[in-house]
Formats: sequence, structure tokens, C-alpha cells
Amino acid sequence: MQKEAAIREPLILGHKTYHDVTEDVCRPIEDKAPRMWYILFGIALIIGLYGVGCIMYLLGTGVGVWGLNKTIGWAWDITNFVWWVGIGHAGTLISAVLLLFRQKWRMAINRSAEAMTIFAVFMAGLFPLIHMGRLWVGYWTLPLPNQFGSLWVNFNSPLLWDVFAISTYLSVSVVFWYIGLIPDFATIRDRAKKRVSKKMYSILSFGWSGRAKHWNRFELVSLVLAGLATPLVFSVHSIVSFDFATSVVPGWHTTIFPPYFVAGAVFSGFAMVQTLLLIMRKAMSLEAYIHTKHIEYMNIVIMVTGSIVGTAYITELFISWYSGVEYEAYAFLNRATGPYWWAYWAMMTCNVISPQLMWFRKLRRSLMFTFFISIIVNIGMWFERYVIIVTSLHRDYIPAAWSMHYPSHIDIGVYIGTIGLFFVFFLLFARYFPVLALNEIKTILKGSGQSYKESPEYHKHH
Amino acid sequence: MTKKYWKGIDELKETPAFLETKGQEFTNPGSIEEFLSDENLGESSTERRDFLKFLGFSVAAATLAACEAPVIKAVPYVFKPENVTPGMPTWYASTYYDGISYASILVKTREGRPIFIKGNKDQGFTKGGVNPQIIASVLGLYDGERLTGPKVNGNDSDWNTVDAKIKASLASAGSIVFLTNSIISPSVLRAIEEYKATYAGKLEHIQYDSISYSAIRKANLQSFGASIIPSYDFSKAKVIISLDADFLSTWLLSNEYAIQYGQRRNPDGEWMSKHFQFESVMTVSGSNADQRAMTRPSDLANVLNYLISKKVGNVGVANNLSSDVKAVADAALASLASVGTQALVVCGSNNEGLQILTNKLNQLIGAYGTTIDINNTVNLYKGDDEKVHQLVSNVIAGKGPDVLLMSGVNPAYTLPNGQEFAAGLKKVKTSVAISAHMDETASQATYVCPPHHGLEDWADFRAKNNEYAIAQPTIRPLHKTSSTLESLLVWLGKTGRGGKDSKVAYDYITATYAQMGLVDFNFAVHNSCTPVLSKETAPLTFKEVQVAGLPKASDLEVVLYQKAAIRSGEYANNPWLQEMPDPITKVTWDNYITMNPKEMEAVGYATTYDQENGLSLATLKVNGNSVTLPVYPMPGQALKTVGVALGYGRGANGEKIGKSAFQTKEYGGYVTDENGNSKPIGANVFSMTKFENGTYNYYNSGSISSADGEYIIAATQIHHTVMARHSIIRETTLGIYKNNDKEAYNPAHTLQKLDEHGKHVNVPVGEFDLWEEHPVEVVGHRWAMTIDLSSCIGCGSCLIACQSENNVPVVGKDEVRRGREMHWLRIDRYFASDEEATIGTRKSDDIDYDNAEHPSLNPKVVHMPMMCHHCNHAPCETVCPVAATTHSNEGLNQMTYNRCIGTRYCANNCPYKVRRFNWFNYPSYKKFTEVNPAQDDLGRMVLNPDVTVRTRGVMEKCTFCVQRIQSAKLKAKIESRKVEDSDFATACSEVCPTDAIIVGDWNNEASVVHKSSKEIRAYQALEEVGIKPNMWYKVKVRNEENKELAALQHTSSPH
Amino acid sequence: MFDDDEVLKDGAKKLVSKGVRINEVFSPFPIHGIDPIIGVKQTRLGIMAFLYGLTGLTVATIGMRYFMVVDWPMNIGGKPNFSYLQNMLAFIPISFEFTVLCAAHGMAITYLLLNKTLPGIPAQNPDPRTTDDKFVMEIRLSENPSMTEADLDVVIKKTGFIEIDKKDIK
Repeated sequence: MQKEAAIREPLILGHKTYHDVTEDVCRPIEDKAPRMWYILFGIALIIGLYGVGCIMYLLGTGVGVWGLNKTIGWAWDITNFVWWVGIGHAGTLISAVLLLFRQKWRMAINRSAEAMTIFAVFMAGLFPLIHMGRLWVGYWTLPLPNQFGSLWVNFNSPLLWDVFAISTYLSVSVVFWYIGLIPDFATIRDRAKKRVSKKMYSILSFGWSGRAKHWNRFELVSLVLAGLATPLVFSVHSIVSFDFATSVVPGWHTTIFPPYFVAGAVFSGFAMVQTLLLIMRKAMSLEAYIHTKHIEYMNIVIMVTGSIVGTAYITELFISWYSGVEYEAYAFLNRATGPYWWAYWAMMTCNVISPQLMWFRKLRRSLMFTFFISIIVNIGMWFERYVIIVTSLHRDYIPAAWSMHYPSHIDIGVYIGTIGLFFVFFLLFARYFPVLALNEIKTILKGSGQSYKESPEYHKHH
Repeated sequence: MTKKYWKGIDELKETPAFLETKGQEFTNPGSIEEFLSDENLGESSTERRDFLKFLGFSVAAATLAACEAPVIKAVPYVFKPENVTPGMPTWYASTYYDGISYASILVKTREGRPIFIKGNKDQGFTKGGVNPQIIASVLGLYDGERLTGPKVNGNDSDWNTVDAKIKASLASAGSIVFLTNSIISPSVLRAIEEYKATYAGKLEHIQYDSISYSAIRKANLQSFGASIIPSYDFSKAKVIISLDADFLSTWLLSNEYAIQYGQRRNPDGEWMSKHFQFESVMTVSGSNADQRAMTRPSDLANVLNYLISKKVGNVGVANNLSSDVKAVADAALASLASVGTQALVVCGSNNEGLQILTNKLNQLIGAYGTTIDINNTVNLYKGDDEKVHQLVSNVIAGKGPDVLLMSGVNPAYTLPNGQEFAAGLKKVKTSVAISAHMDETASQATYVCPPHHGLEDWADFRAKNNEYAIAQPTIRPLHKTSSTLESLLVWLGKTGRGGKDSKVAYDYITATYAQMGLVDFNFAVHNSCTPVLSKETAPLTFKEVQVAGLPKASDLEVVLYQKAAIRSGEYANNPWLQEMPDPITKVTWDNYITMNPKEMEAVGYATTYDQENGLSLATLKVNGNSVTLPVYPMPGQALKTVGVALGYGRGANGEKIGKSAFQTKEYGGYVTDENGNSKPIGANVFSMTKFENGTYNYYNSGSISSADGEYIIAATQIHHTVMARHSIIRETTLGIYKNNDKEAYNPAHTLQKLDEHGKHVNVPVGEFDLWEEHPVEVVGHRWAMTIDLSSCIGCGSCLIACQSENNVPVVGKDEVRRGREMHWLRIDRYFASDEEATIGTRKSDDIDYDNAEHPSLNPKVVHMPMMCHHCNHAPCETVCPVAATTHSNEGLNQMTYNRCIGTRYCANNCPYKVRRFNWFNYPSYKKFTEVNPAQDDLGRMVLNPDVTVRTRGVMEKCTFCVQRIQSAKLKAKIESRKVEDSDFATACSEVCPTDAIIVGDWNNEASVVHKSSKEIRAYQALEEVGIKPNMWYKVKVRNEENKELAALQHTSSPH
Repeated sequence: MFDDDEVLKDGAKKLVSKGVRINEVFSPFPIHGIDPIIGVKQTRLGIMAFLYGLTGLTVATIGMRYFMVVDWPMNIGGKPNFSYLQNMLAFIPISFEFTVLCAAHGMAITYLLLNKTLPGIPAQNPDPRTTDDKFVMEIRLSENPSMTEADLDVVIKKTGFIEIDKKDIK
């Protein structure tokens, strides 16, 4: 077992034993859910159902119910898609990349972060589907020889790359997440009193019994999956950015997009994790496991990625002028000073200015402030995508075709709806799944647990 | 002729039940909404379970409906009619005349249905010239609200009854008046002569044009002693001076003039005409003028006087022209001096005095005999305003004739005092309206006798003295209508009714033909027309006459003009024309008050608009009448004038004039006023015209005051300048063009590269290619197009032809407002801004973009037809995930509708933004029931069977009329030869009056398009994007002096 | 049964040094360093993953070549598809994604199969607490023919366990 320096702040506060850990994590699952949970769940469900209703109307009537037009073929739909995918990056990044870098502090947050990732990617995946004019033939995007003879898909199309990227990312994240869940389900199973839940969890836990051999494989599989997931994380948002980067639309056709999108994704992803965790640790009294240290670490990540994003914005502006390309130059001038200036400056403030405040130790360790910023950042990131998509399209090459975009109430309904659905899923997760990676926490209990660090035995070792 | 197939005995008998359910596709109420909206639901013994059943059913139905496009069965011929080969079109040469436009046309029929009309380039003096109305008239044939039989006091009747009654009242009448539109049919005129003989002294025939030109006739009566309209020849005029005459779009025989004009707008031609326009509202002609002066109606006389006096030579003549008008006038004089008699002055005003002055100027120039032919007179527009006015006042006063027969006129709508006339009509003992619709006048008449549609009827015409033309039927009458000629003859007691296959009119026409001493009727029918040797008339001599009653100036001069699509309202029920963007304002489905933005800003009216932001409403008061309309910022509008288009506000009292003639709601259905009538589109301003000095005048003085609220208009273009983007629009002046090399005005886009000696050289972007080309050049065909911006006048014929050929759906005002019009071909209109030396050429390298967004006070205009460029490196193709849009090996960018899943990525990635998405199911969604002809059984007959009707959720765009390409290839193959230019033309190029659009096989070096694309004026829009389009534009050359531009385009090439 | 991983590890060392074959260890989390002691070999799942990935890459390559170049070549935006190499740039993203897809899922499935951990399979841990905070060492007489039960008890006594439970497995 690894030792670590005494000066390092413990990752687990309080004098916890293995059993306490189990207790803390399993309690919310075994107790009755608090009234608050039901209220939140109810609200989320209603919003979610409204969104589903909007989607039904959309599918029944036609894409025309959105505010799109001949010039602006994508607006809120793809904005939301990219936004959700972005959010969906934190989870895998935290668990995979940080696992590779042996960042122990990840263990407290990776489980819920991954859950968030998966639900976010669900929501993201929804938009490319419903934005199609003919969803019922959407399966033509798969390389199937169809009734029209040997007609295949077009592998040159970034949209097709998306199909593969998103589906791969989603399924691999699910696998990664679930494999980690199995042993913890086993724990719950073995504690379960009620027959039903015992049955349920024993099915979920695949009959895990924690043999040494299994643990051995378990660790390797986690490592390899992490190894695979890491490039995946980066590839997915790069490919999403290709949708724009490979086009000819001024403001889209930009080589800087892949890194810039990935950074943005991590940026918004971490912000979302912050938002959720800060609520969860309170609601489920996990302060001992998710505390200031973790928040601070994440804030640092947000600050760094935020700065990268900011740099990207400035670079774009500079290049648009430096390139001397008339359309490029105008596209960016128009972003900042055109009819959609408010969106651009909202983006700038939220994404570039606000994260810089994290330089102040006091602020980045303040939970309230963190919560506030995390919301701001996600608003900002939504605007970033809106700016990129809409303000580039609405005034491109041919002035006669220039146009404005006004969202319809269906646009709004679908977006809000996905947020509702997202929380429906997340609340269910928080209620029925172990929100911390039990087995992982236990492995570091000694290494980084406060109790251990204070114990004489620990000091004897040094 | 072909057989008509009935759906069943119901349709044959046309039982009310059938007629009522005819329009709708599903007769049985299937939807849950209907079920629930049923008010006596309460009584009905509906259990909860039934409701659930319904719910379940409707959900399932909805799901299914969403998944499958409805299947419409086609019934094959059981016995093949002779001359009809299924799948092969049959063309008929015919003639079009509706009282306003006249043209020799070719009608395309498929399986006995006329589906497309184009000009006849080989026959007739119109030389193939058509206008949007003529092309769109084919849709009128299938108008569901055309009357299907005669009516008595608004109730259905049958011909025998009606004939009997009318005969009786004619016999007993003390006085009879025939109030008709200008009749150019020798046969009808002959018939009327017979009437005059029969009812000697009792009968008067008065002709009346909705838009009167009688001032020209009166003026010529004064100047030449003959009440004539001469033939103008714009192709002979090196200098054209037009005063308020929109001769390219709405004035007289504009479709003939457009052709002549086009012949002389080519800078590569022997010479290029120079066009000066003095006008208040910016018109199509004004937008094409080389120099245009903002002139108020009251200034026209000054302009004419100034020109005349200078021409006569008395220098230093006092004139009260504003400096800029004077500048243009001087320029005009300068160029007049150099061209001798090869000049033409036309005046659009219906003021006799102005026309006399115009004659005088033409006389001074010596235009008579060169550009004006007073011997070959025009027989249209014979309206006699004074007589009409007299009659109308009598009718209003209740002193009208016993029998008033009106044919092809709608005075209740088109008169200044139409309302009173309509009321007075009730007092007339017997009023007969020969009218296709229950329009404003017909609905007041005792008897309504619907005539055939022009395509169902035999008719003869003599539009000009030297030509006799024939219209032949191209389809068996759809309804129980009757030829006007036949009705007249029947009521005269000469003959009986001939029923659907009547030969009455035919026989009478052949007789007339023989009487005129013409021979071989069938050959004439084959050609649709034949020359007539007019007997020598005594040469007309010009005499000076005093001029009186010139337009007077006022603080606000109101100009009542015609829009290119709706004209004077005859076409208000034609959805294609309603949705045709106005060539200048690009506004559809509305009329409005045009005002110069400069003045609007002063008053604080909104000068920008889009989907959600409307224009300010204002109330315009003219002699007691007032209308409240949105104020449109019209650059180039003469200051202290406003313009309002005539022809709107049809069916204000809910008259059934056509499904698409009324405002529709966002989710379908009509907007209705308090008493349940459908609200008309726009407002009728005929009440603002005035009868003065013996003519109806289309200008007036009035006052404008802002009304509260704003009004959202549906425009297809909300940005008006090209932002000085030189690779989109390239323009130069004739001088620069003649004296400089290509680099000056049409520089190639170049990039640097290393040549073999390692030196940096600039080479055209075309030479750069990231990858190995697919073979499109040299191999097989490569379909390509060139558009000459110098020739294009923006008339809109191509747009309508495309719509008609390619089954382009009509989407209605609300969708156009949302920027979702479906036109495959649009005409971009760009105004010059103050930042540009001329359109597309920036004055200096760094320009003020905000300023560049605003048109100049009196801007130059360019019309740029824009459709799919069929790029060889099409950005739209690479991004389609399912390969629904790919490149044919003939250079076409193909759109596979049934493979499309509707991601719209292609549309986003199209630099020209020419792809159109089916946002809804236009052929069935309730929102489009009123506007889209494809939604009713009758209207559907106009669809071109060669072109798929697109379903919801798929992308569509210009195909270069691929169906025509295919048939051209087949034709060539059958004759085992190569495809030649003559085999193939797209709908747009076919109807272009100025031959601005050329298509063909680019790989055929001999083809016109190939040569055209190699001309030095040819350039490709957005070439530097590297998409290698198969379409070229040709630099717009304006015949003007432009020092600023000369400085820029001489020294270095602008970017 | 033990209540601390360290104690168990030390105990195991002692036993093994005495030549006792430890049959199995059940623990709530991986005990680092126990494998060599009780002789659990390093798993070869990693190699499997690599092979799966390789398969994915090959399938993707062959597939896309067949679809775009061989079976139905089309002129799409003038992009060259005369040979795989010319068009390959466009295929890289999907090749990568498909590789990862196959590797990840292939390995996960193999892992579950090897562990015999699948939905519905009953748990085999001797004591439910082993998934909470207890550690169990399983020693079978049958596996240690050299020793008698008594000998075993003697050595085991020294390992510092908290509970012991004997079963006769028929």
C-alpha cells in the first residue's frame, strides 16, 4: 500500500473505519428517502414530461415548430447537443485520466461524475435524433445495406463520425461505470434486509464475491478501460468540433476548434460536477468524503481550462483579423458588435472573466462561491455554442440570405425538458446507487484517511 | 382534347355533398380534436373507454401518418386518347390575353392537363416575351373557386334559364351598355357590331381598363388627330428616357418591351442603350436604369419642359428642377445630342398634358419613324375614361341603363368610387357580369355568366394592326362555363348553346377569319398567329397643341403604382404571384406605403424589419379616404412622395375570389373580421385614384400620420446591401469595360505558389486543388449555366416558371416571414451603399460596416438570380451522413429525396444558401390548406408529373431541371446524335425575356454556355471558397460615368 | 476471518512460509500485494484487450474501404475515393472510435465471463461481511494433503484472525 506525505491534507476527514464508510454510503439507499427527494423528483419529472410532450409535438408536426429558417438550419438543437456532450466530459475524464495519474482525490467524486456523464450524454444524444427531419429513417446513418440496394453511408461526413463517436463514448462510459459498480452492489446486496431489494441487488451485482483473483482482474480492467477512455474523451469532443471545423462557414471553419472544444468541455463538465456534488454532499451528509479539498482541486481545473478557453477566444479574434479573409473578419466583428453582441459578451463574461476569480484561494475554497460560479460557467458555455452556431450562420457569405433566429416555445420546452430528464435520472441514481466508489475509498482509507495519518503507527513508518 | 375521369357519379352530378367534401383528402372525421370539439359530445353516449379508444387510435394514426408519405393513386388510361402518349408532353401554340397582358405562348400539356406556359419565341411580335402573370395563369385554370356555372341573383342556375332571361331583358331594354375590358378580338367586336345593328341606337359599347392609358390616346388625338397607341421599339433606342413608365414590368406591352430592351443591354453588342429614368417609386425599370432621378409626379412636367426647351435650343431657360434631377436631365440631353433620332421618350403618367409634352419631345428628337411606329398601332388599352366616368355617375345616380353587361371588368373594385358603383348596380334593372369569380362586381350583378379560362377557349386577337392571333383550347372545359363569344351570340339569338364541346365560337371565329381575307386557318392555329397586311393609312402629321391640366405639386404626393406580381388585382387569387417577392422590396403577400428611409427616420418610423420586428403602421389620407398600412423603407423613393401598390384588398366584403386571396392564420384557417368575413390581403387604394382632366389618374395629394402599432411583413430578404463583397457582385461602367483589361473590373482570385524555378507566382485559385479531381471536365456532359447581370432585369418570370415546373410549394405569409420560402430560384436584390463606389466595390480598404448596411439615398440596384451552383467540390455533399446528396458524373449536384434524413447540415454548409428544407408536410399540413394549390384535388392537377412532390423533412433545391436534361438526352439518343443546345433549356432560362440565363453542356466546346463562360466578363461568385461551381455570372455593366469607380478600377484591382 | 487487510497479509505470509496452500481470499476491496503471496498469477486480460482493438481496427479499415472504394464509389463533393489511401484521412476518426469500441466491450465481456460474474449468478462469498469490512482466508484440507487438521489449526492460530469457521465439504 502506498504511503503519502504527512503534509498532504487528508482526503477523508473524521475517524472512519471500513465499516463507517460502508455505513455512510449505504445509509441513504437503505433508509426511506427524505421528503426533499420526493419534491425535487416530482419537479424534475414534471419538467421532463413537458419536454417529452414538446418532442412528441415536434415529431408529429415537423421541424418547422422550431425557430429555424432557410439560413439558420441549426440553432438550439445543436447548441444543446454540444452543451450536453461537453458536460458529459467531466465524468470519464475524472475517473479515467485522474486514475491514470493516480490522483486519489478523484475517488470521492468519480462515481457520481460518471453517472452525470452518462445521463448528460443521453440528453446530448437526444438532439441529433430529434433534429432530423425524418427520425423514422434515422437508422440509415448506420452502415447497413438498405432496401435501396448497396447504398452505404458517407464516411466523409463529420456527422457520421459523430454517430460513431457519441455511441462509442456512451457505451464505453456505461461499461466503465458499471464494472466499478459491481463490487459495491455486492456490498449493498450483502447488507440488504428486504427480499426484493436483496434480489434486485444480487442481480445487479452479478454475483460478485470479491475473490482475490477477481480483484486482480478488476484492477487491470479498470486501468485498461481508463487507458482507452482517456483518448476517447478527447476524440469525442474533437469530432464534435469537426462538425464545424470541416465546414466552409466563416466562424466555423477554424483549425483551433478541437483543443478549444475539449477544454471547453472539461470546463463545463467540471462546473456541472461542482453544482451536483455541492448539493449531494449536503443532502446525503458526505462532507467527510467530499470536502473543501476536492472542491478546491476541481476549481483549479476549472480555472485552468477556463483560461485555455479564454485564450482560444482571443486567438480566434486575432486570427480572423490577421487572416485578412473578408468573411472571416466580418463573422467575428459581427459576433462582437452585430445583432447578437449580447450573446457574445455573455459568453465572454461567464467563461473568461468569472473563472479567473479562482486565483484567490479564499474564493476557490468557498463553497457558496463555487456553486455560484459553476452555474455561471454552464450558462456561459451554453452561450458559447449559441454564438458559434447561430451568429456564424445568420450572416455568412451572401448578404441577401442573412437572417435572424428567434426560438419558438418548442425550442425552449425541449431544452428545459432535457434538464428535467437529466435530474430525474440523477435523482434516481442518488437514491438507489452507491454514490461513492466504496471499494476504492476503502483502499485509500489508510493512505489518505485523517484517522490513519494521525495514528502513531503511521508516524512510526516515517 | 381528352376525357375527364370522374371519381364517381357524385362528381359527375356535382352533388353538394361531393362539392363540400371535394377539397379535403380524408372525408371521415378521424382526428381526436374533431371528436372532442364536437359540441354535442355531452349528449353522445361516449364512455371513457371509447375516449381511450379514440385516443389510442389517433395516437397510432398520428404515428403512422408521421412515418409514411400518403400514397396518391394514379389511374391509367383504359383507352389511350389519340395524340396523347402517357409520359410525353404535348405542346400547343396559343395566345394569351387577359385584358392587361398579351403574348404568343406555348402551352405544355401532360395527359391532357396544361401544366406549363412559356413564350413562343418563333411566332408573334412578343417574340417569346412573357411576364409572371402569363406563366402563372396556368394555375388559375385549376382555381377551386372559379365559378362552375351561371348564377342568378347569386344562386346556381343553368344556361338555358339564364339565356332566356337575358334575351328577354335585352329585348325589352330601352338602353343597353356593354362595359368590357379592351376587346381586341375581331370576332367579339364583330358580334358587338351585330348587336349595335340589332339594337340600333339603344346599345353603347364602352371599354374600360382597370389601369387606364387613355391619356396616351387622347394626347395622340391632339398631336396626330388619331386616338392611337403607337408601337414602341426599345431595341432601336440608343437613349431611353422614361418618366414614371415601368415599361419593363407593368407599362403597356411590357413583356414585348423587355425583350427589345434586353437586346440592347449587352455591352458586347454592337451598341448598348443608355437608360434614364425619372420616377418617384423605385420600379423594376428604375432599378435597371443607368441613371435614375427621384422625381415627384408634379416635377415630370418640369423635366419634360426642361428637356424640350434645351432641345429647342433656347438656353438659360428658367427651370425649377432640383439639382440632382437637373444633373440627370443634363446627362440625358448630352447623350441625346450624340444619338440623333435613335432615342425614345416614354411617360407612364395618365395625364394628357404630360403625354402631349412627351409627344412633343419625341417629335423634337425625331423618334417618330425610328423608335415609334404610329402606323402599326396597338389595339389594347382602348379604355375611354370619360365615357366610363359618365356611365358610372349615371349608375350611381340610379340613371343607369336597363341592361348593363360587364365582361372582363371589375369596376366595383377598380373605380375610385367603386363602393358607390356597387350600390348603384343594384338599381340597374338587369346587370350581367361575365366573370370567372363571384368578385366585387359579379356579386352585385343579377346574372353571372362564367367564361371559359383562356386555356379552355377558342379566341382570336388583333393586338396590333399587323397581326392576327388565335388562342386554341388545350383542355376540355373543366366546368359548365361558356365562351364569352358564344354567350354573346346566344343572347343575340344567332345560335344555341353547344355544351362542353361547343363549336359555336370556333365557327364564328373561322368565319371572321375568312371575312378578313386570311387563308389557311389551320396553319394559323398551328403558328398561333399570322400577319395581316394593314392597308395604307394616311400619314399622320404632328401638330403643336397647348398643354393644360398638368399635375400640381403638393406637400405629400401619393403615387399609386402596380407591383410586378399582382398588378391591378386580377391575380390576387393566384398563390404563386402572391408569394412572388416584389422585385424591389422583396416583400410578399402584402402592400404597403413606400417612403424614403431618410424621411422615415425623421418621423421616427422603423426602417428595419425581420421575422419578429414589424414596420410602423401609418394612416394615409387621400381625398376623404384613408388606409392604414405599414410604411416600407424604399430607398430611391422621391422625397415628399409616398407610394402605395394597387391591386390589394381584394374580396374586402368576403367575396369568393379565390382561396389564397385572404390572410391566413399561423396554424391555418383565415383571419376573419368582426362579422366573420375573411380579411383581405393589404388594402384597396383604387379609391385614392382620381378622375381629373378626362382621365383616371394614379397620383394624388394626401397626408400621412403615424398610427399606433407595428405590422410584421413577410420579406424574403431583410438585408439590402452586398456589404461591398466584390466576389459576389462585380460591376463596372461601359467606359471602364471598353478601355481596360479584365484585371481592372473582373480580377481573378489568385494565390501565391512556387513555380518550377522556385519563384513566387500568383495563380488563379482554380488551379489549386487539395486532391485528385473526379473527372467532370471533358468526360461526357457537364451541365452549366451563365447569368448575365447586365441583362437581368429582375422581372421574376424565371422564379414563377421554376415554381410551375418544379412543383415548388407555396408556404404562405407566416412561413415566408420566418424565412422559409421554398423558391428554388430566388432573385437577390442589392442596393448600393455609401461605402461603395458601385455595388460590390468598396471605396477604400477599410469601410464602415454599419454604414455599408444602409442603402444610399437613391441607390443603384443589381438583380442577381441565385440558385444551386452545382459545385464540383460541393460542400453540401461531403457533409451529408447518408450520401443523400452526391455529384453526378455530368456535373450535377443531385438531391436524393427518398434518402434524405433531414439533418440540414448541407443547407448550413451551402455558401449560397440555396437549399430549401421541407419544414412541414406542405401537401397535407393544415397550415397550408388555403395557400398551397397541391392541397386540393383541382389544384393538384397543375403539378408536373416529372417532378417528385417532396415530403416533410427532406431537403430540396434547384436541379437544373434534371427531368428536362434526361428527356433531352433521350431525344438525342433516339435520333442517335449528340445533345445540342437546342435540346435543353431550364424553365428559368426558357422564359427569361432578356436571355440573361444560358444553360447547356459545358463540355461541348461549341455550346453557347461554354463560350459564354469563357467571356472576359464571366466570373464565379465566391470563387475563392474553392467549391468550383458550374455556374458563372457576368459582370454588370452600367452605361454611366463613374469617376470614383474609374479611379479604383483603372489603377489597381479592388478586392 | 480478519478485520484488517494488513493483518491478513502478514498471516498469509506466515502460513505460506509454513507451506500451507491458501485456497482463496475474500475481501471488500483489492488488497495490494496479496496476489504473489497466495500465488495468484497476473491476468492476461490486457493482451486480450489489445487483440480486440486490433480486430476492430481491421474491421473498420476493410469495411470502409469496401463501402467507399470498392462496392459503390460515389463522387461526393469531388473528394477522391479512387483508392483507400486517398480517402483515408476521412476514415481516421471512425477507425479510432471503432477500435476503442471493440477493445473496451470485448474486454469487459471477457472479464465478466472469466469471473463468472453475470446477472443472476448467486454470490459465493462465505460471509456477507466480506463485502463490508471483513477479510476471509479460505484454506482447504484437500488442498494441503501434507497436513492434518490439527497441524493446520496450530499454524492458523498464529495468524491473528478474529473468527474461524470449519466446514466439512462432502
